[in-house]
Amino acid sequence: MEHYVMIARSVTYAQQMQSVLSTNGVRSQFFRAPRELSDRGCAYAVRVPENQIAAALAAIRNARLAPLKIYVTQNNKYREAAL
Amino acid sequence: MIYLDSAATSFQKPPSVAAAMQDALRQLSSPGRGGYPAANRAAETSYLCRTELAELFHVPMPEQVVFTFNATHGLNIAIKTLVRPGSHVVISGYEHNAVTRPLAAIPNVRVTVASAPLFRPDEVLEAFSRAIGPDTDAVICNHVSNVFGFVQPVEALAKLCSARKIPLLIDASQSAGVLPLDFEALGAAFVAMPGHKGLYGPQGTGVLLCNPNFLPKTLMEGGTGSVSMEQDMPEFLPDRLEAGTHNMPGIAGLLEGVRFVRQTGLEQICAHERNLTLTAAEELKKIPGTEVFSRPDLAAQTGVVSFRCNQMDVEELGDRLAQRDIAVRCGLHCAPEAHQTAGTEQSGTVRVSLSTFNKIPEIAAFLTAVREELQ
Repeated sequence: MEHYVMIARSVTYAQQMQSVLSTNGVRSQFFRAPRELSDRGCAYAVRVPENQIAAALAAIRNARLAPLKIYVTQNNKYREAAL
Repeated sequence: MIYLDSAATSFQKPPSVAAAMQDALRQLSSPGRGGYPAANRAAETSYLCRTELAELFHVPMPEQVVFTFNATHGLNIAIKTLVRPGSHVVISGYEHNAVTRPLAAIPNVRVTVASAPLFRPDEVLEAFSRAIGPDTDAVICNHVSNVFGFVQPVEALAKLCSARKIPLLIDASQSAGVLPLDFEALGAAFVAMPGHKGLYGPQGTGVLLCNPNFLPKTLMEGGTGSVSMEQDMPEFLPDRLEAGTHNMPGIAGLLEGVRFVRQTGLEQICAHERNLTLTAAEELKKIPGTEVFSRPDLAAQTGVVSFRCNQMDVEELGDRLAQRDIAVRCGLHCAPEAHQTAGTEQSGTVRVSLSTFNKIPEIAAFLTAVREELQ
């Protein structure tokens, strides 16, 4: 299954996104962003299953949170998602 | 020991505070510094603490809750953000050196003291209204005086500042964990508080609540675990103000202290402290030669009462009480401005300050000791 990865500007922001997702019934995992996705250096990210990305984005936007970027995993590679 | 110095630091803490600190030493590393379990547990603990604080003080986003070393640290950040050389600042007549010394350290700052009598919140507000001018850059006021327990009208002052578009900094050192404070409704630029007083966390913890409309000036620069490629500090909170390794045992302890406050309830904590304060004040007034700073109904006062006596220097009385294992704070309480306003700068006062852990028998024992010493 593909996953979407939302990059957060800080660990606190990633936790805030994960908290909002959890409140809205979206399963997510909080993890340290791969180096290739953190072009400014050191970031955290939240991973969301593909089938929950729409609900996740709605929840995040309602909470006025904004990921720095969103990537989709494809064959173990990351591609920036156009959402 | 009978501990009556909680305005300096609360000494008796909920047992969960020490337990959490011990667990932190064993299980938590550093938040935002890794993806391994100990780092994630530290991140979880710090986030939970921010969230509890945000809920207690009605802060919209946990990111706006910044950990500091103490209230003085937070006040320094806020003051050095809002006040520049040559600024005009209006402060209350009851401010602590944690406010007045940072102001004095900024060149050519013009400070106007909105002086008003003790326990007269309406007059405080009028004094601020008169003192704030078109050139005023910041207003600073404590919620509760650390010397006299005077509850200042910060809600009305916030409205005044909002109407005149002046940033407001509130020093909640004595009120945090005792009186309600709604950060979002106040619209203050910053609220600074210690973690180690009414929030029952350990020493070395403090909190700065930040309004996102103000980009705080950094007092320290360093690693934050974020945007590491850049040499400027991040512009986002809390990272901007939290350079270096966090005090995780302190934050873990503070989390438990805040949980204790929320579980107990501000109303109950405040009512208990007021009851003890009222008892102490009314009984002290019966001792010949004492001057007690409180109104009969303890109006506009909470948790703290100051007094002095004709018969004895306040420091001597404090020493004698200490020999009886009773802890009070005497002198000027790092707040000469407050003593000048109240007219007690020559004598100082003996300050009795309570926490939710104090009991009536302790107050009775303290009163007996004072009576005996002053006989």
